[in-house]
Amino acid sequence: MNYMPGTASLIQDIDKKHLVLLRDGRTLIGFLRSIDQFANLVLHQTVERIHVGKKYGDIPRGIFVVRGENVVLLGEIDLEKESDTLLQQVSIEEILEEQRVELQAKQESEKLKVQALKERGLAVPRADTLDEY
Amino acid sequence: MFRYPSLEECPLDEEEDGFQALGEEDEDIDQFNDDTFGAGAVDDDWQEAHERLAELEEKPTGSGQQAAPSSEDAEVLGEPEDALAERLTRLVIESELEDPAIMRAVHTRGPGAQTMALTSSIWDGPSEMPSVSVLDYALPQRPPQAREEERDPSERALPRRSSSPIIGSPPVRAVPIGTPPKQAAMPNFNQQILCPKPVHIRATMQQRYPAPYGERMSPNQLCNVPNSSLLGHPFPTSVSPVLTHLQRAQLLGGAQAGRISPSQFARVPGLVGSPLPSVNPKLLQGRVGQMMAPTGGFRAFFGAGPAPPSQPQPPPGPVPHLQGLRPQPFRPDTTHLHPQHRRLLHQRQQQNRNQHRGLNGSVGDRGGHRGSHQEQVRKDPYANLMLQREKDWVSKIQMMQLQSTDPYLDDYYYQNYFQKLEKLSATDEVHRDGPKKERTKLITPQVAKLEHTYKPVQFEGSLGKLTVSSVNNPRKMIDAVVTSRGEDDETKEKQVRDKRRQTLVTIEKTYSLLLDVEDYERRYLLSLEGERPALMSERKQKICNMYDNLRGKAPGQERPSDDHFMQIMCIRKGKRLVARILPFLSPEQAADVLLATARNLPFLIKKDAQDEVLPCLLRPFSHVLYHLPLGTVTSLVQQLTNLPQSAAAPAATNLHLAAVLQNKFGLSLLYLVLSRGEELQSTDGGAELMQDNQWTELMLLATRELLRVPPAALPKPVPPPSNLFSLFSRYIDQQKLNLLQTKLQ
Repeated sequence: MNYMPGTASLIQDIDKKHLVLLRDGRTLIGFLRSIDQFANLVLHQTVERIHVGKKYGDIPRGIFVVRGENVVLLGEIDLEKESDTLLQQVSIEEILEEQRVELQAKQESEKLKVQALKERGLAVPRADTLDEY
Repeated sequence: MFRYPSLEECPLDEEEDGFQALGEEDEDIDQFNDDTFGAGAVDDDWQEAHERLAELEEKPTGSGQQAAPSSEDAEVLGEPEDALAERLTRLVIESELEDPAIMRAVHTRGPGAQTMALTSSIWDGPSEMPSVSVLDYALPQRPPQAREEERDPSERALPRRSSSPIIGSPPVRAVPIGTPPKQAAMPNFNQQILCPKPVHIRATMQQRYPAPYGERMSPNQLCNVPNSSLLGHPFPTSVSPVLTHLQRAQLLGGAQAGRISPSQFARVPGLVGSPLPSVNPKLLQGRVGQMMAPTGGFRAFFGAGPAPPSQPQPPPGPVPHLQGLRPQPFRPDTTHLHPQHRRLLHQRQQQNRNQHRGLNGSVGDRGGHRGSHQEQVRKDPYANLMLQREKDWVSKIQMMQLQSTDPYLDDYYYQNYFQKLEKLSATDEVHRDGPKKERTKLITPQVAKLEHTYKPVQFEGSLGKLTVSSVNNPRKMIDAVVTSRGEDDETKEKQVRDKRRQTLVTIEKTYSLLLDVEDYERRYLLSLEGERPALMSERKQKICNMYDNLRGKAPGQERPSDDHFMQIMCIRKGKRLVARILPFLSPEQAADVLLATARNLPFLIKKDAQDEVLPCLLRPFSHVLYHLPLGTVTSLVQQLTNLPQSAAAPAATNLHLAAVLQNKFGLSLLYLVLSRGEELQSTDGGAELMQDNQWTELMLLATRELLRVPPAALPKPVPPPSNLFSLFSRYIDQQKLNLLQTKLQ
């Protein structure tokens, strides 16, 4: 197996279905249509997939142009195996709600943690601002 | 400006000649207007007024002159259908003429010729578009009925413009020529189809209102004009066949494009399907433009294979069937789509249904492109959106970064890492014959980078310099001239001032020579058979240079003084340098270095007290020793024991030798030399007597000195060579030997 240097190795992945994880944590799934030397991507028929627990939901995003620097990882989706997933697809509304609930729960637990730390007189660890998306 | 020449160079008829002047005038006015108002700067209001006027005029006059997009026109011209077909074929031929100007000229001939020419001009566009293929694909897709409204106005308008010499003035043409910058690169026809549109329309206007109206319009406006004028004008439902095809192709393209943006779909079905009696002109006008525009990008599929609308159509099945086949708990995907879009997708799904044998993935949920991969690739109309050319470009850019004449220099760590990897996998293979693990290998460019030096263009007598700066030739910020003072006085001055610095420089220089020399082995392996001798001599030369640097040999001087060498040896880096250089030197050169070291060993030992790097010389020295003849070894011991001095005072304590013996390096070196000498002595029976005697004498001296040195003074960690005691046993009695042994243990 040989591969090309840099983003040129992506050329053979063009027109295949890809999952792209962005720096802000979003997950995109779409057909890779075009790339360039910076790994800027053009995704086609893109959906943004939100996973919450065992459920997931797809938000249609159409054509998605991703600036290369935001790509964390990128991989082809095996179309043969795509359908046999244990995850359950739900509607957008549902998944958004789930996401909201999850976020809320997370914040709650975070708050509790902070409180507990405070009671023990410990400094509250500074939240990584980058994590807020 | 380029339009003028084009006009002149085209094969003009007598007729055309007459009109040429007019055309030029038109162009002037056009240009003037554009300059004044800018493209698209004109108000919509008067534009519309023009259109209305244009329509009125069009009806009576237009039909006579133009090649008929509409059947009405065709009838007026009295052209039979086969004539049209012939026209088409000729169109194909003619479109090979890339020069729009030529095309234009052709149009202006007779009415018959006109039609042909104008048809072709629809296609010829500004670039070398292969009109053949367009037609090929366009023709079979003839829709049952097409309305004038649906048609791209360009087809309709075009003929008029071209037919009238006045109208055929250059500016009209110029618009498409300049417009789409990328055309040449793209095999997209639609764009080209699109672009000429404004032109034609404009032509129409000009024809009707030669000076005042036509030229005022910028290309942008022109785009809009035809549509509205078209719409206001009741066109007959039946259209001439040729146009229908073309039209159809465009419409299909438009529909295709519509997929991108669902909103555009709203109109498409109506357009394609049924005669659109009353479409809002404005809407349509907008639609057509929109729909056509995006199509360009997807034309590839048009040319490449089956078009989506006409995709390989298996017997269409019911939609529910599809859904039943694929058990998906939830299919929300289409919900976001425009209803029309969804409907279209459904239709397409039906068409494609049989092709998606796997039915894994949600076929059609989102445009029906989720079949198994091959299938998907095969029928994916959006596939190959990135042209091979563009892919090549990307890989070329990436490759360019890896191009290098000397990968070791440019990418040392990768090269070494990779070597390590290869070694690893090689040993892996040796050790276990399991399944051979394939390692991914980076493809690197085979072409070496061409080193080009940039020479700025210089004009005689000019003050400034012309420079073109690029990545490879960055602009020079300052062009300073280095004035070097006289070499001689400067170096002399320096030598006096700081000899040490000079020595450091010498060491640096020699190091780079050394690195070069070390590189030669690799280069030798990589080089071609023919280049090798040259490489070898180069290498030899560099080794000689290294030696000269080391010994500070001035030309003409037979035996260099040890001074320079000592300077180098006083510096830690210099010692290491010598250790590294020795293996490359010839035996004579190496021996010389060795002797010089031995001669000045006490001094060096004193200087090395802090650094303690002298021991690193042992290894190369021992290697060298094994290539030396007895004579040299003897003289080496002589130097070590500093015989000349000891000869003067034989009985006195030999300070030189004592110093040597009390140092780890010195003692080790002495052991090495002695054992080597003894080896030579024993093997080389035919040695000269004199040499033999000399050796014995030296041996005795060394042993005596060794005995005299207090045991505490002897450096401990040096293990004497195994043959040393048997060696000593030949020269001293048993008692002394025992003493020596205990001392050295």
